Amino acid sequence: MKLKKEFEDFYKCIRIDSETQNLIDKREILEDEIKNKFPNIMEKHDIELNKSDIRMIDQGSYKYNTTIKSKVVDRDVAVMIPLDISKNSDPRKIKKYLKEAINIPVRSVSIKEPCVRAAYYEKEVEWLHIDLPLYAKDNGTIYLARGKENSDKYSWEEADPDGLNDDLCEKINGNNQLRRIICYIKKWKNEVYSNSNRDHEVPPSIGLTYLACDCFFKQTSEEGDDDLLALQKTMNAIKNKFFCINNIEGEITSADISRELPVPPYTDIFKKMRDSSSSYMITFYKRLSIAVNNLTNAINVESEHDAAEYVQKVLGTEFVVPEKEAVVATTQNKKEHSFG
Amino acid sequence: MDNKITIRELLETYDSIIVNQVYTEDIVMFKLFEKDFLIIGPLKKDLSSKAQIYLYNDEGTDYPHVVLKDIDINKESMLPIGKYRGICLYEHESVIQSLFSYEEKIIDIIDRLIKLLSMTKTEQEREFQREFLYYWNSATDLQNIDIYLKQDIKFTKLEKYCRKKTTRYVESNIELTDINNCDTRGNRIWQRHIETEAFFIPIIDKREILPPYRNHSWTIENIKEIIYGKQINHISADTYFQLKNKIVSTQNIIIVFAMRELKTKVCFAVMVKCKNGKKRTLFDKIYKDGIDIVLFNVERKDYLYLNEIIGNDSIFYNKKVLLVGGGSLGSYVAPELVENGASNIVIYDEDKLEDENKMRWRFGGWSVGLNKAEILGFFLERFHPQVHVECHKNNLDEASLELELQNVDLIIFTIGNSDEQLKFNRLLNKLNCKIPVFFVWLEAGGMYSHILVVNYKKQGCFECLYTNKDGKLVNNRATLNTEIQTENNILRNGCGGTRAAYGTSILLRTVSVLLNTIQKIFLGNIKENILIDISSEMVSYPDDIIPMKGCNCCGNRK
Repeated sequence: MKLKKEFEDFYKCIRIDSETQNLIDKREILEDEIKNKFPNIMEKHDIELNKSDIRMIDQGSYKYNTTIKSKVVDRDVAVMIPLDISKNSDPRKIKKYLKEAINIPVRSVSIKEPCVRAAYYEKEVEWLHIDLPLYAKDNGTIYLARGKENSDKYSWEEADPDGLNDDLCEKINGNNQLRRIICYIKKWKNEVYSNSNRDHEVPPSIGLTYLACDCFFKQTSEEGDDDLLALQKTMNAIKNKFFCINNIEGEITSADISRELPVPPYTDIFKKMRDSSSSYMITFYKRLSIAVNNLTNAINVESEHDAAEYVQKVLGTEFVVPEKEAVVATTQNKKEHSFG
Repeated sequence: MDNKITIRELLETYDSIIVNQVYTEDIVMFKLFEKDFLIIGPLKKDLSSKAQIYLYNDEGTDYPHVVLKDIDINKESMLPIGKYRGICLYEHESVIQSLFSYEEKIIDIIDRLIKLLSMTKTEQEREFQREFLYYWNSATDLQNIDIYLKQDIKFTKLEKYCRKKTTRYVESNIELTDINNCDTRGNRIWQRHIETEAFFIPIIDKREILPPYRNHSWTIENIKEIIYGKQINHISADTYFQLKNKIVSTQNIIIVFAMRELKTKVCFAVMVKCKNGKKRTLFDKIYKDGIDIVLFNVERKDYLYLNEIIGNDSIFYNKKVLLVGGGSLGSYVAPELVENGASNIVIYDEDKLEDENKMRWRFGGWSVGLNKAEILGFFLERFHPQVHVECHKNNLDEASLELELQNVDLIIFTIGNSDEQLKFNRLLNKLNCKIPVFFVWLEAGGMYSHILVVNYKKQGCFECLYTNKDGKLVNNRATLNTEIQTENNILRNGCGGTRAAYGTSILLRTVSVLLNTIQKIFLGNIKENILIDISSEMVSYPDDIIPMKGCNCCGNRK
């Protein structure tokens, strides 16, 4: 099997398999502050909220166990509170109260469109942010608080964070190759979008995770799991899900992919990316196509060295290229094997 | 040696290399990836000589394998004035240079240099970690400490002992046999020091932990990152909570770290200097009060490490062995057990060593007239202070065997005496012995030896050897010598005493097979009781000797 050890080493290299104690401590302190301060602030605005009614929900890659190393640690923990949204129709206000509850100098707190973000800096460089999506539970229905602090666009959007967690955990848990493929695809995204910082330019991780789940091809043999083949087939299947239009010259003029959330609000995960700029989807498709081509080449070439060079183009330099077989053979022939 | 092509010509075949200056045919300065290098060709007269490369006048480069110290050339010579840093492109004795031609040596070293300079960050990290101790030891002020650990996977407290210029940090539950030794005036040689508390912290994830190297010295921040990583848990949750719970009140704390590299563990240590000696948790002392560190060069000297580092199997480790018989065979078996990881040995033998036997007794030169068990104990404990030997100056009896059976993991009989072994075999059967038992004996003449492995839950025992198909007791059926051969090889002292003739080669090969057999037993590769015949020609496993159905000892065992 080609590059088995290299993929194993690569996975060990990029993988984060648990929260660090540092992160756990920061998250727990943050959660305590939310539970202790948020009710008082809400009370000042005549909104009743008991500490015991606040529920924290683990979300994101740490929940699905698909976290990879990154420049900034990205943690998602949802805050759910009981709330009459007809009386509190402006979610931006509630998000502001949440911000107020946790806004102390050790962290920098800001309001993002889907969440409140607590960011941590060291020597003026951000190393961690904890995103806190805020959910309101009203008459058994759950709503996500959407809207930036001063944006005109805001809403309580129906959601099901527990349902989403259950759906993804059910798909991923117990399927280690799928988990690895998701991590590889996220790593590919980090590589090809490393210079992107515009809103919605980068395909969302949750979208890639769902596409990977939908398109996953398990590849295994007597020698074990073949991650190279599984990754190529999965990424190729994702590519084939795109709907593309070419002009007469064969250039892509339009590309589109969609994946609806399996739980309320059942919206398309890629909608914002599509709506922000038509070029974003074309870029996504083109980059994915390049990756698939490289992985296909990796499968087709005979030498492990050449194959790894193609994979490295997709996954980055953490994927280590083994020495050329000819070089290895020459040195092997002249290696010292005798010891006194 | 073919020497038609010069170094210059070879270098010019590389697109990425520009030859700057040729000093002699064998000494050339060249530019590669914007850096200047000096190559010195291998000596033509010496087949084993290899080419050498030096980085020239480059203070900033911090690739692995570029040595840390500069060679200053500050006088006019053939070479330009400047600083040269050697580049280690070969592991010590990893390649047989004599098999390379002159050209091949140049091409090989240049290819290695290009590969080094083309390394990705991940590859560099791996190389730095492989050479961790080189960089670490280069960064210390030659302050050596010796470490004795019983295990290297869990957080533990260490105790500090000093003797002149030697300092030991010893895991709390280790008993070192020499730690209470006194000098001729009755003073303790090793002094315990409690003014510095010390701890061992195993690293479970070494990613991003690089050794100190040029322009990257370690500070307290490196230690903080290890114990409280931002993205990676370098230590286990268990270790973290131990740090959070352990109260420390000394101003300085020694921390010994270990991380896995290839098949063994790399150990390094620091002294964390704290703001004060206030009582705080170990975590807070390091994370909040720690202001500076001093690096120590660590030498692991514990029995576990010394076994691991030479590739000894861990099967013997922590096993207690009962060795019955300290004669010639026992004297060869015992040290091999110790050198293969068994540090806890009980020996029974009432005999004293005589001159006639000293040529085939392992420590014969020193020990004539002394009790064999005691001498063995004395020498075995000198192997390593973690070796503990319980010496009994008497022969094993039934009561002692019953007691020992409760405490040992393995029994080896090296007494040769059939009566005694038949007696103990019966007793072990009666006691429903649950541990493996090895009967090992030699035949006279130095030709044949035997090992019988008995698991008393299965059929086949020592008495089977002395039982025929009719269930009658007969002479040992495993014997390969003829009566005449045996008779010819018995030496008599004229007082009824006998001594079999044999030399040390039979002892060495028997011990070798015994070690392999013990290994197989503990690895589960031997399922049934077996007899092994050993000669200078072969090792064979006769399957027609045991078990014997009519055996009065194990015959009824199912």
